Amino acid sequence: MTLTLEAVTYRYPGTARPALADISLEIAPGAVLGLVGANEAGKSTLCLLAAGLAPATIGGRIEGRVVIDGLATVAARPSELAQRCGILFQNAETQLSGTAATVWEEVAFGPRNLSLSLAEIAERTDWALGILGIEALAPREPGRLSGGQAQLVALAAVLAMRPAYLVLDEPTSQLDPQGTKMVGSALQRLAHDTGVGLLVVEHKTDLLASIAERCLVLADGRIVGGGPSAELLADPRLDGWGVEPPSAVRIERAARSAGLAEAMLSAIAALP
Amino acid sequence: MASAARVIGSGDTRAGLPAFVQPLPSGPYRSLNPTTKGVIAVSEALVAFAVRGWSGPLAVLLALALTAAVARLGRSLLPFLIATVPITASILLVNTFLFPGATDRIVTIGPFAPTWTGLTAAVQATLRVVAFAMSVAVLVLTTRPDELVADLERRGAPRGVTFVIGATVRTIPRVVQRAREITEAQRARGLDTEGRVWRRVRGVLPLAAPLVFGSLNEVEEQTMALEARAFSATGRRTPLRVFPDHVAQRALRWMLAIGTTALIILSIAGALAFLP
Amino acid sequence: MSWLSRQFSTRVLVLIPVAIAINIVLGYTVQTVLKLPIYLDSIGTILVGVLAGPIAGAATGAASNLIWQYAPGIGGGTIGPFAITAAVIGLLAGLWGYLAVYRPRPATGVRLWLAVVVGVAIILLLASRIYNNPAYTDPSIGGYPDWVFTAAIVIAVVASVSVASFILIRRDAAGAWVAAAGALTGIVAAVVSAPIAAYVFGGVTGSGTDLIVAALRQGGSDVYNASLGQGLFSDPIDKTITSFVVFIILASLSDRVLARFPLGERIVRAGAAT
Repeated sequence: MTLTLEAVTYRYPGTARPALADISLEIAPGAVLGLVGANEAGKSTLCLLAAGLAPATIGGRIEGRVVIDGLATVAARPSELAQRCGILFQNAETQLSGTAATVWEEVAFGPRNLSLSLAEIAERTDWALGILGIEALAPREPGRLSGGQAQLVALAAVLAMRPAYLVLDEPTSQLDPQGTKMVGSALQRLAHDTGVGLLVVEHKTDLLASIAERCLVLADGRIVGGGPSAELLADPRLDGWGVEPPSAVRIERAARSAGLAEAMLSAIAALP
Repeated sequence: MASAARVIGSGDTRAGLPAFVQPLPSGPYRSLNPTTKGVIAVSEALVAFAVRGWSGPLAVLLALALTAAVARLGRSLLPFLIATVPITASILLVNTFLFPGATDRIVTIGPFAPTWTGLTAAVQATLRVVAFAMSVAVLVLTTRPDELVADLERRGAPRGVTFVIGATVRTIPRVVQRAREITEAQRARGLDTEGRVWRRVRGVLPLAAPLVFGSLNEVEEQTMALEARAFSATGRRTPLRVFPDHVAQRALRWMLAIGTTALIILSIAGALAFLP
Repeated sequence: MSWLSRQFSTRVLVLIPVAIAINIVLGYTVQTVLKLPIYLDSIGTILVGVLAGPIAGAATGAASNLIWQYAPGIGGGTIGPFAITAAVIGLLAGLWGYLAVYRPRPATGVRLWLAVVVGVAIILLLASRIYNNPAYTDPSIGGYPDWVFTAAIVIAVVASVSVASFILIRRDAAGAWVAAAGALTGIVAAVVSAPIAAYVFGGVTGSGTDLIVAALRQGGSDVYNASLGQGLFSDPIDKTITSFVVFIILASLSDRVLARFPLGERIVRAGAAT
């Protein structure tokens, strides 16, 4: 039981050039896979494909297969896919349904679409708010939350669908440092405490370094690199792929080059 | 904690719902089923317009005065009344002074000649508009849009309909806020919202463009987010709460629906001409 | 999927509240804040009609006016009964969508100038029809203020020049179609609105356009004809402007986004979508 992309090539409607070419990857339940790459590398397209939204709701042509726990996405209805793989986008405000008076009702929006019993809806909603540690937000008005809070509510709303996998498309890119920290620690908890498999696209590689076991690099619609996060995020080719390395790596490099300069200085000072 | 605020033992329909989720409205008139209040408001509006002369508007105003007293609305109706001033002033002026074909002048002051016929028509039209505005006010002041939408959904309205109403009601304040920010930013750069017509015309485009594009850009992402929450699933959405309804209220709704339809037909057929 | 349910896909259902909010907020700002004698409250309706189809457009129009009337805070005034007009506007927009009126039609040389001539001819034809409307010219009644005639001529000239330069500058023959669709929508809207205004509100609506109603009454028109005369004056101008605004909006959205709407393929440049 995994989320698998098998040699996937994808073209948007009306375009001849593939947005993604020959992508294969696999996410196991409970695993965290990071995805990095420059702008326009195809990261968001990959997210839509993995969650089954492409081609189901936006059209386009797909070669190869995306399979979520045995279900091929091309043949599935969006409401079926929603219960297998969730997706979180950048902008928190637009992801909220905009129809709920309280955060609790906002999170209950998805389960209600599935015609579940009221007891089950309440149980899922409380669980989703609890796992992210935002029970206190439940009575608040969704339109009056901070960016970080709103993004966590959007995440809870997706989790309430009880997906086995979750795709996060730059979940912190619109957030201030405080909101980034808030969402980052919630994602860490999610990765450690639940069996949900995560695919995380992030510019902020610090976050990936702390939660993802493995990372892939996407450039121009193709996977150009991959490996354990610690190794990959320290790879010197990262800058060339348009990805900024995590701060730990940058500090280490700076220290190393500073240390080199220092050694030279002391060598000069030691000259007779 | 949410769980501390649970309502226990209020029947199966609210089992597990936190208390802050949609407390049911209480108090005289307010506690009526939302759909009943909606049907009452629509009937009042239709009767005020369909039954011409004095009787329609005055009967509706009487009914509205009674409901407003029962619901203790009082002063909160005032802003709605004030909002009708531009239209009622226009009706009174244009009709009193410029009523086509009227010759029974009240007085002649230079080129101005108000007529009794014009004044009568003007007052009747004003009463109609005020009755309509008050029917809207009573509904708005006693019924939250959420409640009406939730009740319609429970009665089997398609999810598309309830989503559009619910989302619109919450989108408008956001767009108003955005429009205000844009207008203020434009004003800081010298846009004129008071001056001559041409200068005001030039203000429309810089207002409309960012407003429209800002809103349209969000459509794609919101569509995806809704699909990811099974919005397009088939079957009926689970209602969160059930508003009490009674046989008497159902009877009242049917009576109003049939009665209003009958009045409209009679009015069109000219059978109500005997009414003042 | 059936013809009807296709018009109400999830994407359209998300667009409709946005369209309604644009209608209401822009209409409110233009009429109440800027106090202009036009409405500009049907951009969203026409947008939905063109992108999704006639029923979706009609629903958007009617819902706009009803929600505007009943939404707390922005007091709808007299807008509610005109839901009928708004629905007809949306219905027509759906028709324009099927006819691919808003598809860009790049042209050069003779064809471009032909479009200019057709566009200007349509405007002048409509202007003369309005100018010669009995509401203004019934010989048994006279003494209209001169500014009604002057304004009609000035507006016709300005409109012709605008449409001609729009077509020439963008090198797009679609301008003629867009102008024709807007003006036709306006005439239909005026004809549908006049009985509502006359019957429901005694012929006025409490906005800047009442000035025209008063002028026509001064000249001797009856309640219905004064309303119709005002409508034939304001609506074609308003809807032609709206029509061009919608065209510009559509032209600046990417084909990728447009193609996902039910009628999107009729808007994107020919051959761009597969």
